[in-house]
Amino acid sequence: MNYYLISFFVFIPLLGALFQSFLPKPKSRWVSLGASLLASVGAFALIFGMKNQTADIQAVENFSWISSYAISYEMGIDGLNALPVVLIGMIFPILIASEWNQKIGVKGVHGLFLLLQSALFGAVCAQDLFLQFFFWGLSALPIYFLVGIWGAENREKASFRTFIASSLGDAFIFTALVLIYYSVDPHSFSLRELSGGRLAGKVFEFWGHEFSISGVAFTLMSIGLSLRVPIWPFHGWFTEVAEEAPPSVFVAICAGIIPVGTYIFARLSYVLFPEALGDTFKYVVVIGILNLILGGVCAVAQKGLRKLLAYLCISEVGLVLIGLGSLSSVGVVGAVYEQLIFGLALAGFGLFSGLITQRTARIEFIGENQERVLGGIAIEAPMISIVAGIVLASLLGFPGLGGFVGHSLIMIGSFTVRPFTVIVAASSLLLASYYLFKMYRYVFLGEPTGETKGFEDLTVRERAYLFPLVVGLLFFGLYPKPLIELIRPTVLTLLSSVK
Amino acid sequence: MKDFLLIMPEVILVLTLAFVVICEITYSGEQLRLVTLISLLGLAGVFFQALISFEVGAAQIFSGTLSIDGFSLFFKFFFIVLAFLSVVSVSHSREMGAGRRTEYCLLILASTLSMFLAASASDVILAYLSLLFLNILSYFMTAYRQKSLISTEASVKYLTFGVVSGALYIYAVAILFVHTHTLNIYQMHKALVSHPMNSQTMLIAFMLIFLSFTFQIGAFPMNLIVPDIIEGAPTPSSAFLSVGARAAGFALITRFLIVIFAQNGLAQGQWEFIGDLDWTKIVAVVAGFTMVIGSLLAFRQKGAKRLVGNLVVSESGFLLLGIVVLDEAGITALLYNLVIQLFALMGVFYVLSFIYNELQSDLLDDLKGMLRRAVPETVCLILFLLCLVGCPPTPGFVGKFALIGAAIRHGKYSLAMVSVLAMSISMFAIARLAYRLVGDFRQVYPPFSYSWARKSFILALLLPLVLIGVFSNFVFAWAGQSLGFIFW
Repeated sequence: MNYYLISFFVFIPLLGALFQSFLPKPKSRWVSLGASLLASVGAFALIFGMKNQTADIQAVENFSWISSYAISYEMGIDGLNALPVVLIGMIFPILIASEWNQKIGVKGVHGLFLLLQSALFGAVCAQDLFLQFFFWGLSALPIYFLVGIWGAENREKASFRTFIASSLGDAFIFTALVLIYYSVDPHSFSLRELSGGRLAGKVFEFWGHEFSISGVAFTLMSIGLSLRVPIWPFHGWFTEVAEEAPPSVFVAICAGIIPVGTYIFARLSYVLFPEALGDTFKYVVVIGILNLILGGVCAVAQKGLRKLLAYLCISEVGLVLIGLGSLSSVGVVGAVYEQLIFGLALAGFGLFSGLITQRTARIEFIGENQERVLGGIAIEAPMISIVAGIVLASLLGFPGLGGFVGHSLIMIGSFTVRPFTVIVAASSLLLASYYLFKMYRYVFLGEPTGETKGFEDLTVRERAYLFPLVVGLLFFGLYPKPLIELIRPTVLTLLSSVK
Repeated sequence: MKDFLLIMPEVILVLTLAFVVICEITYSGEQLRLVTLISLLGLAGVFFQALISFEVGAAQIFSGTLSIDGFSLFFKFFFIVLAFLSVVSVSHSREMGAGRRTEYCLLILASTLSMFLAASASDVILAYLSLLFLNILSYFMTAYRQKSLISTEASVKYLTFGVVSGALYIYAVAILFVHTHTLNIYQMHKALVSHPMNSQTMLIAFMLIFLSFTFQIGAFPMNLIVPDIIEGAPTPSSAFLSVGARAAGFALITRFLIVIFAQNGLAQGQWEFIGDLDWTKIVAVVAGFTMVIGSLLAFRQKGAKRLVGNLVVSESGFLLLGIVVLDEAGITALLYNLVIQLFALMGVFYVLSFIYNELQSDLLDDLKGMLRRAVPETVCLILFLLCLVGCPPTPGFVGKFALIGAAIRHGKYSLAMVSVLAMSISMFAIARLAYRLVGDFRQVYPPFSYSWARKSFILALLLPLVLIGVFSNFVFAWAGQSLGFIFW
């Protein structure tokens, strides 16, 4: 099963981005959407045709790129990265459709989204550290321009902070990369060659002290990734961007960059640093719990939809970290599954809150004196309220929706190892149901206020792009078996090297 | 005859130069001025002639004063491309009067000739003369902006530092000559290997020659004038000097340090220093200081040109990493980075020159909202800058990886840490500039005039960068093959 499908869906968006920039405006939109959809179809075809019951990396493509530094163009897909591929394939056509009527520079927005899609597909599928870092670095550029050009009033500051965070993060990852590369002989970047504890026991000397390479590289890489994926205490830029970025761009961060970031963390820590992870998985869990609690507590205090989404995202990342750090097969499978689900759910949240902001020109749903600002949308616009309800239910883990599968697997997996985390996670879910229902009550229920009177329901275009999200959440909740069977063998194999 | 064939590129360059002079003298008010065209055609001729001399093979000609080898050929192609781009970009600049713009081609061609000589000089006196030739032309180029105080001031500062650096060089050469009784660097090497100098004398000779070169490459402690020159000179000159004069400096410093002060190491493709003096430590300290000081100063600048000037200083520090490690991989990485910087810096200064034409200013406060007024130009400016400092995923990043990787491979972790730190500070400096470019939302700015010539020139600079990124392998291989300059 290798028809260079991976290269196809990695580079089609890029070509589409170039091609659409030469076309006149109305046509360019169709080309953008077409390129994005075509890539997604390629991605789904590959996932659909994958063999399960095996942990091998499939559809491998391997060419030498910069042979003097043993850097190769090596792509492949297995259980760990199949789900992020599905997620990106679903999100980006939706984002392009949501920016269909952008007034200023629609070609720019679409081009940058396509570039981002290419970069994220590449970062997910790359099986070479350098290539992965290359695409991961590339994914920072479109975000910078998207926030900087199309953002709200304080966009300069927000894009500046985003840039600083991502370049600092990249510097950390880069250092880790070079350390890893030169610690093995012959020097290599290939994840295949570096796997199986090749880094174990390697040390380097610095100012007369000996340091373990895998420990230092793991720390550097984790800090580097946590600057891009908002993990407390490095989330300052993220909450700022939440208010300044256009809704679709913020969705691209929440549902594109962040799941890919957690995926990279999972891949590198299980493949490269099994023994470092064995020593430090407690801290991963602790950081996960901290994020979960802090995200939840901060979300309670929010009066604006965007910031609520941002803190929700932080707490979801915490949940994924708890799953990844549980080191039990059920927990890790749950975490991998949850990456897909929270991506879809947060995308839904971001998009419907974007629509509400667009129609009522308001971000806050609670006024200065705790009074109701929005409200009664359910009466005026039932469709958007149903969509929002499904998204919220999935975020809270209602049975029958995707969130249920992810949350329950993470909790079951963690319970066997450390029951305490489960108590914390469950109580933070209770907290989440408090603030999410409060939001739902303030925005959708009750009598319509001045601003929501005559609130226009979803148009055909909006229904068309929200539909796949809702169907995805329902489908992955009701029938998770095929995807879980895809993930399980890979996770089991990777975990066997940790223990 | 072979000698003559091998210097045909220089000969053709001189002929083009003469032709341009004659054209200028006979000019009397025609609409069409052929100087640019003649210069470009001449450069194309030089290019083909250089290819032909490549076929003839490497040799030392004119009793060993010139080494025509892979290394000099690499730099010749480099300088031809640079001159070509400069001649084109000058014609778009409005910082010099239209009449003076064409004469400026003359300076570019003459500097190219001097850089050709510097790239292949293997005689200490010829190297000195070619550098002097280059520097005198550089003073003119710096002061070429009409009626501008900072331009004149920069030129005078440049001159002063140039004189000091020349004096240091001559002292070093005198010491080496007294010890070795030869002016040819390869014979100097042999003499030094058979009769090593005592380490104090060696230290003084090395420090003098290295200090004089730090002026040429803009490294610490001679880095102070670089921002002044780049700010004061008309922007096309800034581009030419920051790429060309520095590259000539790196050609000489690489050849001289490695041929005179190093010898073949135990492993293939590695060198070690002659005698007891570990001069790589000196170079390492200078490299570290240059990187950090350059990027820190860049962070505090108020003018875009000064900011880029300090980034150029910091980049020189990175390039020195390639010499510190004393192996072929290091020098290959140095050459690769030079190629990247050629296109990146030309692009940066071209866009800055366009902005200067429109705004008559390069202050960061005046650049507010440029992104709205000239979208493709500003986006490309940011991309060129990111490529210059090696932000992933630009091809500059591959270059930085090669340099920092070389340092790590030789166990120089502190230096590698300093360089990663300097790299992030440079990125912050660029973020500061980009922050201004994005600008204020509430203000409405009038857009600039549309120009296909401008866009296609920027594309012509961006395209090679993308190709270098994709086909890095070939560029590395080419740079690696160019290192055939060790005739010991």
